[in-house]
Amino acid sequence: MINTKTAITILWFTLTCVICFGSFVLKNQVHDLELELSKINLNIQKDVKTIHVLKAEWSHLNNPSRLKKLAAEHISLNKMRAEQIINYSALPFEYENGRTDQIMTAGVDHKEYKKLVKAER
Amino acid sequence: MLGVSLSGKNNNFYFPGQNADSAGIDVLFKESQDAEAVHVCRQRMLLSIAAFLLIYFIIAFRVIHVCLVNGIQIHTPGDESAESEIYAGTPISRADIVDRNGAIIATSLPTVNLYANPKNVRNPESIAQKLTHLFPEIGYNDLMTKLTRKRTSFSMIKYNLSPAQQAAVNNLGIPALEFQKSEKRVYPHKNLFAHILGYTNIDNLGLGGLEKSLHKRLTESSKPLQLSIDMGIQDTIREELVSAVEEFQAVGASAILMDVNTGEIVAMVSVPDYDPNLSIPVGDRALFNFATQGVYEAGSVFKTFNTALGLESGKVKFNDKFDATKPIKVQGITVSDYRGENRWLSVGEILIYSSNIGSVQLISRVGKEAQRQFLINLGFNEQLSDFEVFEKGRPLFPSQKKWRDDTMATVSYGYGLSITPLHLISAFSALVNGGIYHYPTILKSDTPKHPARRVISERTSEQMRKLLRDVVVQGSAKNANIPGYQVIGKTGTANKLTNGRYVDKKVMTSFVSAFPQTNPKYALLVVLDEPKGNKKTWGFVTSGWNAVPVGGRIISQIAPQLDIQADFDLDIQRRHVKAAFIH
Repeated sequence: MINTKTAITILWFTLTCVICFGSFVLKNQVHDLELELSKINLNIQKDVKTIHVLKAEWSHLNNPSRLKKLAAEHISLNKMRAEQIINYSALPFEYENGRTDQIMTAGVDHKEYKKLVKAER
Repeated sequence: MLGVSLSGKNNNFYFPGQNADSAGIDVLFKESQDAEAVHVCRQRMLLSIAAFLLIYFIIAFRVIHVCLVNGIQIHTPGDESAESEIYAGTPISRADIVDRNGAIIATSLPTVNLYANPKNVRNPESIAQKLTHLFPEIGYNDLMTKLTRKRTSFSMIKYNLSPAQQAAVNNLGIPALEFQKSEKRVYPHKNLFAHILGYTNIDNLGLGGLEKSLHKRLTESSKPLQLSIDMGIQDTIREELVSAVEEFQAVGASAILMDVNTGEIVAMVSVPDYDPNLSIPVGDRALFNFATQGVYEAGSVFKTFNTALGLESGKVKFNDKFDATKPIKVQGITVSDYRGENRWLSVGEILIYSSNIGSVQLISRVGKEAQRQFLINLGFNEQLSDFEVFEKGRPLFPSQKKWRDDTMATVSYGYGLSITPLHLISAFSALVNGGIYHYPTILKSDTPKHPARRVISERTSEQMRKLLRDVVVQGSAKNANIPGYQVIGKTGTANKLTNGRYVDKKVMTSFVSAFPQTNPKYALLVVLDEPKGNKKTWGFVTSGWNAVPVGGRIISQIAPQLDIQADFDLDIQRRHVKAAFIH
């Protein structure tokens, strides 16, 4: 029959074994995680480098002269002129929220614009 | 049994939970000294338990602290330490330079240098042959010299390889060839910021401009250096200057746009310029940053300072008139007017018609001492050595001894004292912004390095703005009267000094301006070096025919970009709306 002392000894022995095994597994896992971390860090470094190069390239592509040339070629946007900035009160009708669509459609046809002005006044 | 063998006679070791009173051990402690030993043991055990408990408590507390209290650290944007952590990960050692909106204008790309270890070279001929194939520009003989160098294990073959070139060298599989990490400075916008940024050498050492003067800052911190320059505005101005140089066959041109309320430079261009990416030799003139180095006699634009001094001193009243009917003599020199009015002129008319005679008469009332002191206050006697760009010119400012009456007279209309465009625009900004001088800077910063100082009163500044508006509306700067922006300004045409003589046809023309009149936000200076007359200008070379229209074109383009609203009244605005719809 196992007496108390032996039981305690076995308990301690088992506990030690369990803790040893546990620490071994934990260490192993930490090691794996560290490997993974270093891989991730390496990838981050690579990505940061790539992003840095891409930023330089983006800046090169955003050269104002180049954009100007492209804008002239592909879209009809020109430099803004002073006359193009106006107050709402200069519009031929009272400004209300949600009316911008009408202002835009008014620009399509000169007659429409006149009608709109009449209606608003 | 294990327990028994360990707890033999005279053994003071007890297992946890083992009771000193238990029957087996009881026999050992019959004597009193043994009882004392038990007591000591108990105490030690209690102490150990306490120590372990303490350690467990500390561990538990730390675990809770790490998990709950101090768990994930969230960096708020703008947190200095957070930013430095982020930038610590940049793959380059030299910080980027960005414009005021954060666009990159100078950066470094990670590259590799190729070097050989001559000690490991077994077959130099074959290696040289293979490398010549990859890099034809190096040459076989050069490579042979590099590969067969004695008593060294390092022989540089080529700087800054592209990734493709690196892969090609790797594919050769030659163990004697090795790579060294490096970086190459690149300027994505080529010529646009050439004079501001300067350039670096192959070892990334700053050799000019900000790269040289702020080398320490750029290498010590990887946080990007932010300038007050606006890329879009800079480009617009450069484009205009390049076309002006072509149109007027000028030797060079320069322009500076300054925020009058902070002293920040928003754009600074000198042409001709160069591409700092290329290491090909360019002319001296292209390397010369006229905006900060060009020490020149500014001519009539100086009348602005002259008039401001007169009004500020109180010795000249706004409505005073001066006799400009005939040339006057001052200490042996005769002062006359270019296309003079030959009549009595008011203070305003002296500026409108740019009268030398009137200016001399005006300053005579104030005196040379006050004049010299006023110009010192405006910073005309110092080099502006704290301005960040490395290349700076030192003004030619006559000493107290040499500041005679004739100096006083010539300085009043801009001769006999030479300054750089940077000096001129800084002082002019102070005259129109309400009278406060701001030290010029090209870095965007919330805390100015130099405290601002008052140079004239607010009232004088307001009067000056009114007078300068008249120059644009009625005087020599009509071509810059851009509708809506209330441009104020003054023109100047100065003959160039060649071999100690003023040459008639060789002039420097300047146009210094600010806008809008009521609350100036920006000041612009345009300087053309030796513009020639053409059919469009009827052969004239004065400022009003070249620098002024260029300035006008620049203002009309940049003012909307700078968020300045034109002051058109409602009727005019309505007309614009209608015109836009009908169009």
